[in-house]
Amino acid sequence: MRIGIVCPYSFDVPGGVQFHVRDLAEYFVGDGHHVSVLAPADSETLLPDYVVSAGRATPVRYNGSVARLNFGPVTASKVSRWLDHGEFDVLHLHEPVTPSVSFLALTAANGPIVATFHTSMIRSRTLQTAYPIARPSLEKIAGRIAVSEDARRTVTTHLGGDAVVIPNGVYVDRFARAPKRPEWVGTPERPTVAFLGRMSEPRKGLPVLAAALPEVLRQLPGLRVLVAGPGDVEHVTAGMPPGVAAACEFLGPVSDEDKAALLASADVYVAPNTGGESFGIILIEAMSAGSCVLASDLAAFSRVLDGGRAGQLFRNTDRDDLARTLLDLVRDPVRRAVLAEAGRQRARQFDWSVVAARIRAVYETVIEGQSLALAQPTTRWSRFLRGGLGR
Amino acid sequence: MTGTLTWVFAVLFVLVVIAWYLTYTAARLDRLHVRLVGTVAALDAQLVRRAEASIELANSGLVDGATALILAGAAAQSLEAPDEDGVIREAIESDLTEALALAFSPELVEHLREAAGPLGQDYLDGLSSACLRVQLARRFHNDAVTDVRRVRRQLAVRVFHLAGHTPMPVTVEFDDAVPPGLDQ
Repeated sequence: MRIGIVCPYSFDVPGGVQFHVRDLAEYFVGDGHHVSVLAPADSETLLPDYVVSAGRATPVRYNGSVARLNFGPVTASKVSRWLDHGEFDVLHLHEPVTPSVSFLALTAANGPIVATFHTSMIRSRTLQTAYPIARPSLEKIAGRIAVSEDARRTVTTHLGGDAVVIPNGVYVDRFARAPKRPEWVGTPERPTVAFLGRMSEPRKGLPVLAAALPEVLRQLPGLRVLVAGPGDVEHVTAGMPPGVAAACEFLGPVSDEDKAALLASADVYVAPNTGGESFGIILIEAMSAGSCVLASDLAAFSRVLDGGRAGQLFRNTDRDDLARTLLDLVRDPVRRAVLAEAGRQRARQFDWSVVAARIRAVYETVIEGQSLALAQPTTRWSRFLRGGLGR
Repeated sequence: MTGTLTWVFAVLFVLVVIAWYLTYTAARLDRLHVRLVGTVAALDAQLVRRAEASIELANSGLVDGATALILAGAAAQSLEAPDEDGVIREAIESDLTEALALAFSPELVEHLREAAGPLGQDYLDGLSSACLRVQLARRFHNDAVTDVRRVRRQLAVRVFHLAGHTPMPVTVEFDDAVPPGLDQ
């Protein structure tokens, strides 16, 4: 199959959508398909050979955050050329409602089009304005995918109709193979708890964990908290209750390998996020690595953890509940092992082999629909109308 | 004199704009109808595949006689269903879904995986993929129906009969759940 994938966000910076596109493209390349990815990128950025640069991206404030996108007549003609040369069987656009190469490709393309919606923002004035403008183009999309239930609700609210939920994928084996690091493995006297994420961003939940720790440390003074992620340590520890900062070890930003090793080594991985998570890919990574997961009961987390069967949930922002569940887990190695095993099983459902097979089923359904439609007899009137649309 | 000419040009301009808008909307609607024709055909093809996969499994000798009868019965109904009557077809497809859910008990899935070896696994994979594709095809069809109906509600489309004699599409509603035993 010849697959064309368009990513609206620049490959110069890391991001959820970029990683999704990269992993998906690599999966299909490995599966023997021809894949070409069109994405904005700087000329200095080293790109995998399946990526075609759509030129330099400009930082644009759109829908509440700054995104690196590109557009304009030069980009538009670049997009058209890429489409002409590609002769794709299917075109897969990501986030089509952004002022970006994705939307340009949507307006220029004919043929089977699949789109994946990543955003989950139900009340957004930008989207309320953008969707009606984009609607005639959006009608060309034959198969809509949403990466989460929340993203699906956004599509339903703003676009009408529905979308198929196909979650983000994880290369489960990369995490499952991660070796343990002795310095991060807990002992009965000195158990370890891992936290991952931007420290200064309150919604990642470090303050909730810090508030729960005094009670935990009172009963388990030896507990070590391994905090990985970017942020200013002094600024973060200044707001912490006394004694808590001493129990924390700050690892700073970690590489992918270190992240996997940390998740595989720690006794418990805590995700105290307070909101704004539509999916929770980090939980799946943790489950793949064989960690016992303790997470806040956000709807997205609860779905990933199968309602608490594949990991422990605590009441969101409730420090007492977090302290209680954390103590229970740290003291009960049998339960930890049971949850970790259940998590390992659960994570398999999010492996790229499973996720990409579903995406391929979408491609094939859409391609088949198009070819069956073209087999239908045409009238002179319909040919005239289609001629008016370009090809 | 110049006044009249201005008026003539103004009227001409308005007419051109209206003509452009009508052609544009007609083209948009035509594109949607093409998409709809495709989704109908795709859904039909997937339903046939699901029924055929069910019959194949029923005839394979890997399932017990009673289960085979239930499956083959429901699948045969689906293959014989008249295309013209949507309501009857919907009921028949829901029945096949129910029959599949009944047949694919955890015990049968276990049996096919363990006792029947790779052949059993092939049947399982084939049916679970067919069920998933039915779901996708129905979802995509209903999305197309929603889009067509939205455009056909527009005033210009109704006043100028831009949809021609194409009947107003309706969504296809039946139970397309993947049998619990087949859901990965």
